Amino acid sequence: MRERQTAWLMSIGAAALFIAGCFNLLFRGTAWIFPSRSQASIGADDPVDADDSCADTTELAMAMTAWRQTQQRRTLIASAAGADGTGIQTAPAGGDIAPARSVADAYPSLHSVAVDPDANQVAVSDSNRGAIFFYNRSAGGNSAQMANPERVIRGPRTGMMFVAGISLDTADREIFAVNNDIGDRMEVFPYDTEGNIKPKRVLSVPHGAWGVALNPVRKEVAVSIEHPNTVVVYRHEASGSEAPLRVLRGPETELADPHGIVIDPGHNEMLVANHGNWAPLTREEEETPAGLRGGHFAMPSINTYGVEAKGDAKPTRKIQGAQTQLNWPMGLSLDAAHDEIAVANYGTNSILVFRRNAEGNVAPVRVIKGERTGVLGPMGVAIDAKNDELWVTNYREHTAVVFARTANGNVAPKRVLRNAPAGTPAVGFGNPGAIAYDSKRGQILVPN
Amino acid sequence: MAFARLANGNEGPVRVIEGQGTKLSRTMHGIAYDAVHDEIIVPVHLAGAVLVFRASASGEEAPVRVIQGPHTRILRPETVNVDVKNNEIVVGEDVGQDVLFFPRDANGDVAPLRMIRGEKTGLDEVRGVAVDPIRNLLVVSSRSGKGTTGVFVFNRSDNGDVAPRAVIAGPKSGIIRIRQVEVDPDEGKIFVAVKNNTESYKFADASPSPWNPDKPGFIGVWDINDNGDVPPRGVIKGPASEMVWPAGVALNPGDREVYTIDSVSNGMYSYYMPEFFPAKKQ
Repeated sequence: MRERQTAWLMSIGAAALFIAGCFNLLFRGTAWIFPSRSQASIGADDPVDADDSCADTTELAMAMTAWRQTQQRRTLIASAAGADGTGIQTAPAGGDIAPARSVADAYPSLHSVAVDPDANQVAVSDSNRGAIFFYNRSAGGNSAQMANPERVIRGPRTGMMFVAGISLDTADREIFAVNNDIGDRMEVFPYDTEGNIKPKRVLSVPHGAWGVALNPVRKEVAVSIEHPNTVVVYRHEASGSEAPLRVLRGPETELADPHGIVIDPGHNEMLVANHGNWAPLTREEEETPAGLRGGHFAMPSINTYGVEAKGDAKPTRKIQGAQTQLNWPMGLSLDAAHDEIAVANYGTNSILVFRRNAEGNVAPVRVIKGERTGVLGPMGVAIDAKNDELWVTNYREHTAVVFARTANGNVAPKRVLRNAPAGTPAVGFGNPGAIAYDSKRGQILVPN
Repeated sequence: MAFARLANGNEGPVRVIEGQGTKLSRTMHGIAYDAVHDEIIVPVHLAGAVLVFRASASGEEAPVRVIQGPHTRILRPETVNVDVKNNEIVVGEDVGQDVLFFPRDANGDVAPLRMIRGEKTGLDEVRGVAVDPIRNLLVVSSRSGKGTTGVFVFNRSDNGDVAPRAVIAGPKSGIIRIRQVEVDPDEGKIFVAVKNNTESYKFADASPSPWNPDKPGFIGVWDINDNGDVPPRGVIKGPASEMVWPAGVALNPGDREVYTIDSVSNGMYSYYMPEFFPAKKQ
C-alpha cells in the first residue's frame, strides 16, 4: 500500500509539473512555424516568461520521463491487484497512455479579418490556437510560401480561447476580440502589442459571442450572441462585468443564430447576419398564451436595425430569400464609400456583395465564387475601400485571399496569404464537443 | 466531419456534411451512429431539433428526418444516442434538464415516448446519454453548479420524475465537469469524458490563464453497477495522453480502441486499450 501511495504522490507531482508545461506548449508549440518578432520578444522583454521554467524543454522532458515511470509502476501495481482473484482493482487500469494516433491542426484556423488601410495593417483571428495575427496589408502573393506575420498576440495571459470576431478601432489603435462558445469574454488589446500579454481590458459577455462591431461616433461596441439570439451594446470603454447599454432580443427582432455584425454610423444602422436557427432559451420562453412553442428553422438573412434599437425591436429591413443566395452567412463588411456590404457566405464558398440598402428577396450585385477564387469555407470578409481590395479569410484552408474590390465571378485572387505550407489540409476543429464511431465505414465522426 | 479511423497528424476530414440545407449549426455537442440502420443522429441546440442523416451523407445533403416542434418538448438538445435494440432515440438536454425518448424513426413534431424530468431525478445540465440494452439501463452524465455532477443511472423504461437507481459522483470519482458518455454493454462498462474544465481567468492576476492545470480532464471507466463516490476502474489521463479537456468519448470494441475529442487542443485522439475490452478477441 505504501508503495502504491508513493507512486501516486510521485505521479501527481510529476504530472503537475508537466501539465503546466503542456499548457504553455499549447500556445508555443507552433512558434517555429511563425518566426516572428513576437516569439523572439517574449523571452527578451518579459521577465516572467524569461524565468518560466515550463519553457525549458529539458526540464519538461525530465518531468515527462518521471511521469511515465511512475505510471508504469502504477500499471504494474494495478495488474498485480487484479490478479489476486478478487476481481477488484485498487488502482485503475490504463493510465497515462500515449495515443496511437492524433489529429490536430498545427497551424492557425483563420476566422475573422479586419483591415486598417491607413496603418497598412491586416488583423486575422485564429480560433484554433486562440491568437490574433497582424500582417502588413500587402502581405501574401502568388507563391506557395507562407507569409510572416508582423506581430502575434497569443498565450494564456491574453485570455483568448475560441476567438471569433475581431474589430479594429483605428482612431484609438485598439483591437477588440470576442470568444465563441468557450471563454465568454471580449478582450481589448492595444493596437501595437504582441506576444503573451494581458489585454488592456476584459469585458464579460454572454455565452456564444460571435461578431463584434464598433461605432466610432457613439463610442459603443456591439456584440452578436448566437445562443440567446441577441445583440448586446456596451460602452466602448466597458470592462469587467459592466452591464450593456442596450440589449436587442425577442421574437419581433427575428434574430436567429446571429453571426456577423457591422455598424453603419453614417446611416445610424446596424446590420446582422442570421443563420436562421431559433429555439426558446428557457422553459419560460417556451410557454406562450397560445401554448408551447418549439424550435424552428428560418431562412438565413441579413437584418438591419436602427443603431439605437433595443428590446424586441423589429428590423427596419431584411435581405432574405432564395434569390439572395445566403447560405450560412458569416462575417459582414460595410463599404460606406461605395454603399455596399459584403458577406462571407460559408455554405457555398462564396462572397456575396449587396447594395447597402438592399431589401427583400434580392440577388447580390456581385458574387465571387468558383474554383479559381480560392474561397473555401469563408468566415471573414473585409473591404478596404482605400486600396480597392476585398479580403477573405478561409476556414477550410490555411489562407486569406485578396481580390480587387469589384471582383465578380470565378476570378483568381490578387494575392494569397498562406499561414501553412501550400497543400496542408485544414483539420477544421472548432471547440468540438462530441464524437462517434461509424463502424461500417471505419470513420470517426465529429460534430463541430 | 468524418475522419478515416487511421487518420493521423495534420489530416483533414474525408467528408463533411455542411451548409444551410443540412439544417446543422454550431454548438452541436452530441452525435450517434446507428450501425443497424446506417444513420447519423445529431442534436441542433440552437434550433431545438434532432436531425437524422444517411450515414454516407456528404456536402449539403438534407437530413432524412427532423424531430422538432412544440409537441416534442425539446427545448435545447445537447446530446443524443440511439438504442437500436428498443428502436429508440434518446435525447439529453442541458437547459431543459431532462432526457426524452422518441421512436427511432420519429419525424416532425412528435411527442416523446417517455421523459425523465423533475427534482427527484437529480438531473441538471445533461451532457451525455447512453443505453445498456442488456441490463435495461439508461446512463446519463449531468453537470450541476448547485447539485450533483456525475453519472446517473436509471432504469431504461423510467418515466417522469423518478430517482436514479445509482449515482457515481464525488471527490474519489474525480468528476468535476462531465460530458459525453458511452456504454459497452458486453463488458458492462461506462466510459465517461470527464472534461473537468473550470473557468479560471482572473484579469487582476499578474499572469492570468483560462486553463487550470491542476484539474486536467480524463476518460474514466466505471462498472455499470458502480454507485456512490467510486474511483474509476480505468482511466486514460496524463500528459502523454495529450488530452487536456476531453469533451467526447466513442468506442470501437472491434479494434479495442477508444476515441476522444478535446475542445482545448482542438485535437482528436485514438487510444489502443486492450485492457478495456478483455472479452474481445483479435
